[in-house]
Amino acid sequence: MPTTHSYSDLLRTNAWIRKVSDSFYWQCTTRTVQESKLFPVNPYIALSYYNAWYRYPELLRKIDAAMPAEELGDRAREVSSYVNLLTTSLTSQFYLSARQFMLDMGMLRPTDALDDVMFVLDFCERLNLSYHRNHAHMLATDSNNRAQILPERTVQVLHADAIGTAPGDKLHTAALAFLSTASSYAFLKNAECRLGLHNSGPYRVGNGQEMLVRDFVDLAEGDLPWLDGVAAPIEHNNLSLPVIMKDTHFNIVDDWGSFEAEPQYDSANMVAVGLYTSDYLSDGYIPVHMESAAELADYLHHVREQMVSATAELWRTMASWNRDQMIDAGLLVYSSVPRDLAHFAGVYEQDDWFLIEERAQRFRPLHNDEYGNSAIAELVGLITLPSQQTNDYRMSKWAAEPAELFSTLPYSPLEDDEWTSGVGPIREGSSALPRKTAKYTTTRGKLTQDECNAAAQAFTPSYVEKGSRFLDDAWVKSHSDDGRADALYEATQQGSRVLAGKGAALRREDVQRLRS
Amino acid sequence: MTEERIPPDKWGAEASTPTVQFYHSAIRQLIAERFAASGLTWEEAVQDPSLELTRVDFEKMESDLLATGYRFDVSALVSLQEEPDKYKPLPTVGDSGAQPQDESGRPIVGVGDNVFQAGADVSGTARFISTIETVMTMMEEGVSDGTIAVIDDSGGTLTVPILEFFDGVVCMGGTVRSHLAILTREYGIPCLMGAELDGVQEGDQVVVEYSRAAADPYADVSDATRDRPRMIKTS
Repeated sequence: MPTTHSYSDLLRTNAWIRKVSDSFYWQCTTRTVQESKLFPVNPYIALSYYNAWYRYPELLRKIDAAMPAEELGDRAREVSSYVNLLTTSLTSQFYLSARQFMLDMGMLRPTDALDDVMFVLDFCERLNLSYHRNHAHMLATDSNNRAQILPERTVQVLHADAIGTAPGDKLHTAALAFLSTASSYAFLKNAECRLGLHNSGPYRVGNGQEMLVRDFVDLAEGDLPWLDGVAAPIEHNNLSLPVIMKDTHFNIVDDWGSFEAEPQYDSANMVAVGLYTSDYLSDGYIPVHMESAAELADYLHHVREQMVSATAELWRTMASWNRDQMIDAGLLVYSSVPRDLAHFAGVYEQDDWFLIEERAQRFRPLHNDEYGNSAIAELVGLITLPSQQTNDYRMSKWAAEPAELFSTLPYSPLEDDEWTSGVGPIREGSSALPRKTAKYTTTRGKLTQDECNAAAQAFTPSYVEKGSRFLDDAWVKSHSDDGRADALYEATQQGSRVLAGKGAALRREDVQRLRS
Repeated sequence: MTEERIPPDKWGAEASTPTVQFYHSAIRQLIAERFAASGLTWEEAVQDPSLELTRVDFEKMESDLLATGYRFDVSALVSLQEEPDKYKPLPTVGDSGAQPQDESGRPIVGVGDNVFQAGADVSGTARFISTIETVMTMMEEGVSDGTIAVIDDSGGTLTVPILEFFDGVVCMGGTVRSHLAILTREYGIPCLMGAELDGVQEGDQVVVEYSRAAADPYADVSDATRDRPRMIKTS
């Protein structure tokens, strides 16, 4: 029997496959295929894809049933969390990478798991459409590598409250020290991958200056089991630093939240900085110790010291792990990229995201270091797997070669019965790592898993409430004198040192005047 | 199942690396054999748990490859430590004995790409950091002043607990966008990435041209005419 998916469904899905395929190729080739002496990086990356393939269909259906992808995007857009530029694009890409490997191995045909593929990609597409609503693109690369995720009301608050600083002063020194230490800690706790770092923007803040929002996520005791104890003193799970730079144009903020600048990024050009926390339980961004430059500098120094200690302790632990444990840590960091969506939806279960399915585990004997490096290099950089080759006349978007990173779905199931539906229910899983025992750090304090889910299910942020959710900047343009606009802006301005109660009428120049 | 039932790959080719070619071919062959023996349609076979490949199947493929005498390139130290018989030894820095000289007649022992343009060149002592034990020792005993870390790991995690104490970094791999490069930029530690070294040894006094322009990340790295910052042995 032919599939019940429509022709337009398949056309749209294939366009999404090609979009994330092109994005993944550009990201992987410009951000390098990573190796590490500590972690077997590419073996764990390759193995993580299989875990995504066998687990995402069921887990994303569970999330979507509790909270539709569109609402998840609406909520995630207003905070800095593990649902961000990076993870919202990688979810499709990891899933499709497994499909490509198994197509290449002859374990799948392109019409296999059709319903699963259609669902997972549709979910991801809806999530990205919503998350990127404010700039009306689907990925940052669609926007010439700009990621202007936030609405005006939020950018205004971050702009207004950023505290002035200059090279050599206490705040400047503390902010730079924080950024370097947080970056190091982020790479380590994520087993050498960049998933703990994220940037969005840039935003034009006037006087030729630009603001970049620099996010560090999953810093405290939370989903990552290996942070239990080690990260107990760290109070905030997610921290965001809006940094305002002079003489700097961020010409690239890409699909992985990485940035490049013209002229070259120079920390001496940082002229203002702020600090916020947020998560799936916060009503937007919450300022952190921003009453004065001295208070902020002291707190940044304090958190940096905590992260230095956590880094040293965690490094000693990780350096003592065996290869299977190192692989499991990296694999689970990778395959769990959608996990914060489950927190937003109030259906998070640790075992959903931190076990490796038996059908993924079976591939482990293949994954020596060389095969891992080669398989990833062929898949994402060289595009030389036999399954990736297309007809001889074709040129791909970036490489002008007749090959594409991800294969599309054939249209034949619209008329014939040569297709299969999916991978079925998730089977038994396991991990060589200790299980999580500590509570989860949130903006409401440290909570159990059940408490996290109950709080998420009971929470509706002000910007998603009925009557507010669809009041975007396009509506504000012609309704800035509307009481609903004022209410929306004032909710965002609630914690603002400079803008509290100012409402919807302000322009950027007004904000600049108020902060000076 | 007959051979005719295995679909052709009209535009297929061989994989470009030996391990991928070996493993994926072996898997394709095994799938074809089991499918042929099953008598099922593909749609029935692909959903039949009894026909799934198992860990034992994959272990046999690895054994078959190792039995040919093939040994794998290693990346992570732990892989070599746990299964030394599977891997080739780690490469070391060579010494051609024919290093070019700088304007003062000193040997040029390396070239690389600057992550950023530092205010000045840096002189110091070359310290090779490529093992967990070395990092552990430096964590406990401290990093000596004037250390220019020579690292064979473009990742950021091996040296992360001691990175901020280096005066300079020379990395024998990666690019100016690698994780180690990202971290050295954040710390403001001068760093050469993708360094090609010849004749530098532990404890050598060196000067590194960190004050030269940062590398263009979009430049053709295979361009042999590139004028790259140098690491010069001074004693």
